[in-house]
Amino acid sequence: MSLSVDHTMQAVHSLPNGLTLVMERVPNVRSAAVCVLTPAGCMSDPADALGSSGVLADWLMRGAGDRDNRQLTEYMDSLGVQRSCAAETTFMRLSASMLSEQLPKVLPVLADIVQRPRLPDDGFAPAVDLSLQQLDAIEDEPSQKLALLLRRQHLPEPWGREVVGRREHLQALTAQKLRADYHRRFIPRGAIISIAGNIEFAAATAWVDKAFGGWQSGTPGNGSTKGDRPQRGVLHHHQQSNQVQIGLAWDSVPENSPQSIMAKTTRGILSGGMGARLFSEIREKQGLCYSVHVGYQAFKELGCFIGYAGTAPDRAQRTLDSFLVELRRLRQGAANDELQRCQIGMKSGLIMQGESSAARAGAIAFDYHHYGRPRTLDELRRQIEGVTLDGLNAWLAQTSFEPATVVTIGPQPLEVTLR
Amino acid sequence: MVEFKHAQLGNGLDVIAEINSAAQSTAIGFMVKTGSRDETPEVAGVSHFLEHMMFKGTARRSSADVNREFDAMGARNNAFTSSEVTCYWAHVLPEFLPQSLDLLADMMRPSLRQEDFDMEKKVILEEIALYLDKPAHVLYEAVMADYFGPHALGKSVLGTHESISALSQPQMRQYFDARYGPGNMVLAVTGKMDFAELMDLAEKACGHWKHLDVQRRYEQPVAAPRRRHITDPKLKRHYIAMMCPGPSAQDENRYGAQVLADVIGDHDGSRMYWALVDPGLADEVDFSFYPHDHAGSFFVYASCDPARREQVEAILLNELKKAAADVADHEIQRSKTKIATGSVLGGELPLGRMRSMIARWIYNNEYKTLEEDLTRLQAIDHAEVCGVLRQYNFEPMTITSLGPPVG
Repeated sequence: MSLSVDHTMQAVHSLPNGLTLVMERVPNVRSAAVCVLTPAGCMSDPADALGSSGVLADWLMRGAGDRDNRQLTEYMDSLGVQRSCAAETTFMRLSASMLSEQLPKVLPVLADIVQRPRLPDDGFAPAVDLSLQQLDAIEDEPSQKLALLLRRQHLPEPWGREVVGRREHLQALTAQKLRADYHRRFIPRGAIISIAGNIEFAAATAWVDKAFGGWQSGTPGNGSTKGDRPQRGVLHHHQQSNQVQIGLAWDSVPENSPQSIMAKTTRGILSGGMGARLFSEIREKQGLCYSVHVGYQAFKELGCFIGYAGTAPDRAQRTLDSFLVELRRLRQGAANDELQRCQIGMKSGLIMQGESSAARAGAIAFDYHHYGRPRTLDELRRQIEGVTLDGLNAWLAQTSFEPATVVTIGPQPLEVTLR
Repeated sequence: MVEFKHAQLGNGLDVIAEINSAAQSTAIGFMVKTGSRDETPEVAGVSHFLEHMMFKGTARRSSADVNREFDAMGARNNAFTSSEVTCYWAHVLPEFLPQSLDLLADMMRPSLRQEDFDMEKKVILEEIALYLDKPAHVLYEAVMADYFGPHALGKSVLGTHESISALSQPQMRQYFDARYGPGNMVLAVTGKMDFAELMDLAEKACGHWKHLDVQRRYEQPVAAPRRRHITDPKLKRHYIAMMCPGPSAQDENRYGAQVLADVIGDHDGSRMYWALVDPGLADEVDFSFYPHDHAGSFFVYASCDPARREQVEAILLNELKKAAADVADHEIQRSKTKIATGSVLGGELPLGRMRSMIARWIYNNEYKTLEEDLTRLQAIDHAEVCGVLRQYNFEPMTITSLGPPVG
């Protein structure tokens, strides 16, 4: 079945095995970008094998189909393909960017990686070793450590997981177990492949049908279920770092909520540009830190805001207090010029994204996951413009921006009173 | 199709443009040929601190105005400072070209007010502290200092807590007055635009800047085999950096050196990747070619478990030695394809083109189309790469490492 969404620029095609192909033409480029999302992110790690998706992401690239490890890498290099395979929370994301004329050669290789990885015995131990090394590397960078602790402390299982997983689980992982796990997780149902760039829909559809049509459908395994309420509250991790790392988190709406545009606009008001509130109030007016920002992180099931600041120990308390003042001030609403700046920033970001095949391939794949269809840049623009000052301020007045979780890393804990 | 235009204002400011009428956006940048290598020891870090101060307002604008105006255009904008250049850029929709040029040009003549200087000093000290918590950065600055020694390229871009604390506003003003002459700067614009309009705008915004004679001192670095381990007991990993002589940004050997660096040490699919990352001995490895202004170096970086440091270091050195003996034609061809694709993909975005074009002008005083660059890349053969290997041979090598105590 082919469902035409905007037949000149976008198209969706469903394969009988459950895989969905989403496409978008990007004008005036020579490139094409592919994004393959399989629901095999760290959320789907077995509870006793946290970190296995990260190991699998590495292992998958160590040979596929007729090509061994080295042949696979050399073949893709000879085609000039820039690629990566990485586990994320929900998905395993396999991305590739290339000159569009290479697309018919590259799609079968990506199909091999997804459907026929060799998962060689001799590649397993190095893949595990690299994941263990990443765990150590995080210990050496306090800002990365903070992100991990904050997520774990604030989000419920399995969203609070970090891809790197747990040391003892990685050490107990076996090749046999992970191979079985690959077969459970890598099924076409629920998987999405997107292509954006200089492409013809009919030809690209035929190539994808040929390369991915034979992917055997399977039954999704029992995914992880929503775990206990996360701990939240205040956590201090002692470390002799040069800067104190401050992380804040509080709940918001999921991505596919009609309110998510309000959350994105609020993020823009707080830290969209150099004139936005956090940068201006905490860095420009008080000189308290170099880096201060807020992100809105949203999944299909839940969403949250994550705030960050890094600063010297003797100024950390003032930084945290100022941060909280800014969050509490949101209730009083935004000014019209703030909203206008924020909206134009979001809109010009869209147009710039529209010039990049890789950015569009990623965006339409996630659109399909969240909304069941790709969204055009024009639709996204209208959505941004649809936020009025009254609408935003009404939303801000009824929404809490009170952090539920505060994590700090540094020599001394800070004084935090959560409301 | 793209079209290149160049014109010079009466005061010596070069204006270069790559016009692409199919582009959806426009990128605009000023690059100044100044960086930490142009600083005297008393003002270490002033180039980078000044870069921050350029956002702090002018005779016409307050610091908040500058930030607000960028936001009001929906601009993606930033600045960076290296040891050799300082660059200010904005990526905007084409209709904002006049406004963004007016703003950026005005910023190039800053007020440098004392109260802003005092406030921003705190931010700079935070940035220094931030990077002290990043082992890769600490090590990079250390190996640059070890390799270049007293040469100006050995200086830290950020400066130190002490040098920044001691820096005064008049010292910064003096540095600005000596370095930010229009003849030492270039204005570059890529994407959709009208060049005649651009020149009118540039004349109006920058034409009154006074010409200034600005020189950079060139000395040849004296490379020598050096070794140092920096102990940091709280680190879990061992970080290795190496540096040895390479071609400069002006040397014709730079093309072959770029291909050679990819063959030996690209993050994926290179010789060092297969020798270290694939077997899981190091989680990260990189061998790069750093072309500087009339100097150049090759740079090695790896991180590993402390217990494997000797093994990893020996493998890195062995890979360099082996490459000199047996680099093969098929590897060179593959690397050329990788580099070519990277250039084409990067060149699709006006910002990517602007950044490569503006640096090319500063370092080489020339413009090349993407196609010309690709043709030059295609011409690189085995003999050319071997010529680079023979001439540089990766010696003498400075080795600096960072991690828990060794031995």
